[in-house]
Amino acid sequence: MTNKKLTQSMLMVAVLGSLAWATARADEFSAADTERWQQQFMDSVKQGRELWTSPTLGSNGVVCAQCHPNAANTHPETYPKFQKQIGKVIPLWEMINWCLRNPLEGQPLAADDPKMVAIQAYVTYERRGVKLEPGKH
Amino acid sequence: MNIINSSRRNFIKTSGALALGTTLPISLVELAFADTTENFTFAYISDAHIQHISGTRFVRNWDQGLKRAVAEANLLTPKPDFVMFGGDLAQLGSKPELDHGAEIISALSHKVHYVMGEHDYYLDLGAYWEKLFGPQYHSFDHKGVHFIVLNSIRTYDDWTYKRWPTAEQRMSEMAGLDNPNGSPFMVGDEQRKWLKADLDKVAKTTPIVVFSHSPLQKIYKGWNFWTEDAEQIQALLKPFAKVSVIYGHVHQIQYNQIGNISFNSVMATAWPWPYPSTYAQAEQYLPKLTVPMNRADPFQERDATGWQFINVASGRVDLNFTLYNNSERSVIFNPKAKHPEDRAYQAESSRIPPQSHY
Amino acid sequence: MQYVWLILLASLSAALRADETKQPPAANPPPQSGIVDANHLLGLPPVPIPPDNSQTPAKIALGDKLFHDKRFSIDGTVSCSNCHDNKKGFTDNLPVSVGNKSLTGTRNAPTLINAAFYKSQFWDGREPSLEAQSKGPFVNPVEGGLANHQPILDIVRADAEYQKAFKDVFGVADQKVTMDHVSKAIASFERTLVAGNSPFDRFYFKGDKTALNEQQRRGFKLFLEQGRCVSCHIIEQNQALFTDSQFHNIGIGINAVQQGITPLVQAFLDAKSKGGDVDKIVLTDKKSSELGRFAVSDAVADIGAFKTPTLRNIALTAPYMHDGSLKTLKEVVVHYNNGGVTPAGAKVNDFLSGGIRPLNLTDAQIDDLVAFMQALTSAQYAQPTAAAAQ
Repeated sequence: MTNKKLTQSMLMVAVLGSLAWATARADEFSAADTERWQQQFMDSVKQGRELWTSPTLGSNGVVCAQCHPNAANTHPETYPKFQKQIGKVIPLWEMINWCLRNPLEGQPLAADDPKMVAIQAYVTYERRGVKLEPGKH
Repeated sequence: MNIINSSRRNFIKTSGALALGTTLPISLVELAFADTTENFTFAYISDAHIQHISGTRFVRNWDQGLKRAVAEANLLTPKPDFVMFGGDLAQLGSKPELDHGAEIISALSHKVHYVMGEHDYYLDLGAYWEKLFGPQYHSFDHKGVHFIVLNSIRTYDDWTYKRWPTAEQRMSEMAGLDNPNGSPFMVGDEQRKWLKADLDKVAKTTPIVVFSHSPLQKIYKGWNFWTEDAEQIQALLKPFAKVSVIYGHVHQIQYNQIGNISFNSVMATAWPWPYPSTYAQAEQYLPKLTVPMNRADPFQERDATGWQFINVASGRVDLNFTLYNNSERSVIFNPKAKHPEDRAYQAESSRIPPQSHY
Repeated sequence: MQYVWLILLASLSAALRADETKQPPAANPPPQSGIVDANHLLGLPPVPIPPDNSQTPAKIALGDKLFHDKRFSIDGTVSCSNCHDNKKGFTDNLPVSVGNKSLTGTRNAPTLINAAFYKSQFWDGREPSLEAQSKGPFVNPVEGGLANHQPILDIVRADAEYQKAFKDVFGVADQKVTMDHVSKAIASFERTLVAGNSPFDRFYFKGDKTALNEQQRRGFKLFLEQGRCVSCHIIEQNQALFTDSQFHNIGIGINAVQQGITPLVQAFLDAKSKGGDVDKIVLTDKKSSELGRFAVSDAVADIGAFKTPTLRNIALTAPYMHDGSLKTLKEVVVHYNNGGVTPAGAKVNDFLSGGIRPLNLTDAQIDDLVAFMQALTSAQYAQPTAAAAQ
């Protein structure tokens, strides 16, 4: 190899080496990362639990926990499913909105409202470990 | 619920006069005239949870549940001997709630006896309740049966008297069924002493019916389907030939037999509760005998709520549940098997899909 | 498919015919252009046909003839078509129907259009099928007024045209012709009175965004959400019957008997246990009529409960409710908005179905709901001015 070519290739290696140093590979995350992300999820679960017992979601003082202690009997693992009296296949958040409108006599939440996300986080967390059975009536 | 049994109607047409001396067909359950204990019926309305919003506004759904039960109980044919109210008349034990509930119940055209629930107790420890309805625990006799009313939702003194800064907060903490800050129910020393003395005066062959709000068993602690001193109460009742315990609080059908004691829960007029088995994160024990009620349809607000009438036959209790938009349920004491059984669904092969809860 | 066309054409021509007994049924009537649509069942599930009563063109034609025959009444003036008039949405647009000798009953005539889909017949579901239902009115004192069905059998066994028809359809003659045959034929005819294909159907099941105007689309949203109508007037993802075939107390008529309910219930049960006929009692005694489904089931949970009617073609079938007490669709929506009482502020009856409560709809929203309901009229029954559209 000539001197010039050697320098060029060494430069190339150096550049590539530095690039490799600067960009992490896509599948790298540490235990600390997952712990941090899990904590952010649990914060959402905590907020969901607060909403679960909060009279601010409805207009008549009724709270979700009155009929669903520990989010029991919500079976999130069965959604999306055909809901008889909504008349179509719906995801979990639409059923939550039905409850907000009806027994709680309150206003529905948008699907991406952090409160709706928090409620779903709580409901599914209390149901963790149960196998999926979408569509089950 | 039918207040007419159509098979009874055929019986009546062919046999002429009815034993009870009325021309109208009688309500369900063949009454057994096996021994000298007179047979009779009483109604049971429970867990109304009248909930105050503000001013004169109350949660309409719970109000309607109690009003409907009262109106229907007034139609029961033949008339029941008396009505029990099983506890949790109010949601947060407040005067407006108790007054509003008492007003609705006053439309009943029968005598009413009252059992206390935790939602009635923990605001003022029963002070206003006693003014309205009488003592928190007592007993009475009726047609050869000894009835006992217990206040079984007491708890540890520390929690009741020292833990919370205000009465309102104490009530609101106990009001959450799944609240980790709650405390287990119990009958307590004072009442157990009273109970022992009361039972000492009763013959061992006299049928006994105990009314309490909590189950007098240990079913699921997380939701206070629980009585901490259950074993001690059961021990006091053990020497008697025929004992039935009827309890509220659980807002669902449950029944059990422990030794000589039959246990039966009653339905709520306000709303149904899930079975503990539907909470995936905890272990609990639902009596194996129990055939669950049909699942509540959330779109039908009165579904899985209701009231019941109870036939006392030969000193045993048979419960007949009203279930709106649902097939009837009856839990009858089977004298051969010596435990309560669902009249239609007890056998495994008779179960129907709506009875699987998850 | 050819077969189905024949049935459709036969039923359509029968439905549009003006006169009854004098004309023979048309064997192969020409199609009515612009009305018969291959999609006229759009939005409906298949019509339930019982295994012992299959559809044939001859049976349907016989049923049609029987349906219109006024001789089957005590004074020769009443046939099924009196109260179920094809020109009036197969009802009579009266609060309660008028029978023999101008006697009136207690109940509003329900439309026969799509009645084939109900799980039971009559407002209180006292008959399980179209066949069983058809026998009742002949012998009710305020309807056909006959003492029993014998006069009908005498006629169909003796009349030459009927003789031929029963022989052709059922292979029976003379004494072998029974009310079972008569009712089967009538039911067969009624099973052709089915129609979907309303503007709603085209909007929801065919994706035609222009089929509903903006107000009707707002009304549809209210129907599903704030109005909560869909709870009992069922719409599903690929069909819509607009009824759950169940019984609910929505507070109509019951207030008139709420005060004396205990003795009324006892008196009714007494009469029933002594052999009283529910069909006769409820149509002749107004107070007993208000007991609704209870009269049939004896269940206290059914006091004042009546069957959810379909909303299909509702714009054609005024007045409304089991007693015809609400004249317009607007009055109906207002009744629900009041929480199941008319007028507003009246006492709520103790037996009111769970789920009926004040809706807090504005006047504009009430009009939107009415507009939506007007979009439920099937194309083949659409009229330039519907009977009581508001």
